[in-house]
Amino acid sequence: MSNLLDFLRKYHHWLLFVLLEVVSVVLLFNYNSYQGSVWLSSANVAVGKMYELESDVTSFFSMTRANEELTLRNFYLERQVDQLRRLYTEVTHDTTVIERQELQFLSQYKLIPAKVVANTVHKPDNLITIDKGAADGVEVNMGVACGNGVVGVVYLVSEHYAVVIPALNTSMSRISCSIRNSNYFGYLHWNGGDPAIAFLEDVPRHARFKKGEWVVTSGYSSIFPSGVLVGQIEKVFNSADGLSYKLQLRLSTDFSCLRDVCVISDKRVGEQVKLLEAARDSMALTNRDR
Amino acid sequence: MSVEFFKRLGWFVALCLVQVLILNHIHLFDVAIPLLYVYFTITFRRGTPKWMILLWSFALGLAIDVFSNTPGLVSGSLTLIAVIQPYLLELFVPRDSAENLEASISTLGLGKFVIFCVILLMIYCLAFFALEAFSFYNWQYWLTCAGASLLLTLVLVMAIESVRAK
Repeated sequence: MSNLLDFLRKYHHWLLFVLLEVVSVVLLFNYNSYQGSVWLSSANVAVGKMYELESDVTSFFSMTRANEELTLRNFYLERQVDQLRRLYTEVTHDTTVIERQELQFLSQYKLIPAKVVANTVHKPDNLITIDKGAADGVEVNMGVACGNGVVGVVYLVSEHYAVVIPALNTSMSRISCSIRNSNYFGYLHWNGGDPAIAFLEDVPRHARFKKGEWVVTSGYSSIFPSGVLVGQIEKVFNSADGLSYKLQLRLSTDFSCLRDVCVISDKRVGEQVKLLEAARDSMALTNRDR
Repeated sequence: MSVEFFKRLGWFVALCLVQVLILNHIHLFDVAIPLLYVYFTITFRRGTPKWMILLWSFALGLAIDVFSNTPGLVSGSLTLIAVIQPYLLELFVPRDSAENLEASISTLGLGKFVIFCVILLMIYCLAFFALEAFSFYNWQYWLTCAGASLLLTLVLVMAIESVRAK
């Protein structure tokens, strides 16, 4: 007995080593568990605050470029709206329709502006941290977009910060997109490598499209409204089984210098989700009774 | 709390901040990442209780993991190095040297110190990249990353050492 105690006393650090390694491995394998990981991820307040301070300093240097891009984009969009308004007025002789439709569209969505405080683009599974959390109305599974296009979906939320899964995530990103002006849709996949290239798979072979056409969100999920830019078609490949097309897209969002984003909160999402669940439950019941 | 404790704490905070704010964003040729925080474990004095080395290294690893959104990765690899470091240091110290010797260029000589660092860093880089790439196993990429990061980190460690030696 005393030999055993002596042995333990002499080599107790090996037990500690095994204990610490087990803790590390448990953390490594459990990161996908939602509840445990909020405080251990960068949604943690202390970490978020520090990243916020750092990005305040670094963003100061990119302010002029961001301003120029925004001004150009504003100018372009204003020209577009102006032209469309004139065409519409010519056709319908109704000059107030744009204002009425705008108010109706915006009343359904609430936009929460946020700033990116931590970002990576080189890993296979990248994550973005933003400086708005539950206190500002951000909830899990809300869509996030920026001025140039779609960014991702909110994954974890703490009181003042949130972690977003961007499109640049090989395992968890699922953004439903369609080719503008047609109804053909598919899911966006990113396979690692270049942060500006992604793939739209399972496009049927009878679909008609051209290179350079814009791909936008389809509006089929409750996460994004339809029409948010995703990217432009660059190349067309055959899918692995030859039954559909795989489109290579150039993403319109520049993930490597992301700073200002918007979290999209859809007021009608709750109703849509409840209706879908009720439909599934009633189908399960009828199948069981049969 | 001794002076030694506060010096360790100072290195802890400094290495953690430098790593997460600056070095985590450096990816030379898409393979090399500087892993300067291993210097913390390399410089533990001969004779410090082994459990203390383990706990300090685990804490540093956990702090860096929380910032980089990779829980368990750095802490697991750094704990492995922490358990090896005292035994390896014993192999390298010259005969009748001080009881609380700290590994550095002046105490071990340049050649021995470089070999000591290379061994520890090599084991660290191999463990780190193996744990990181758990889901897609591509061994040539693993070896390239480990080797490139080893070289880059070694350069940075030598830089710090030459500043400290003055």
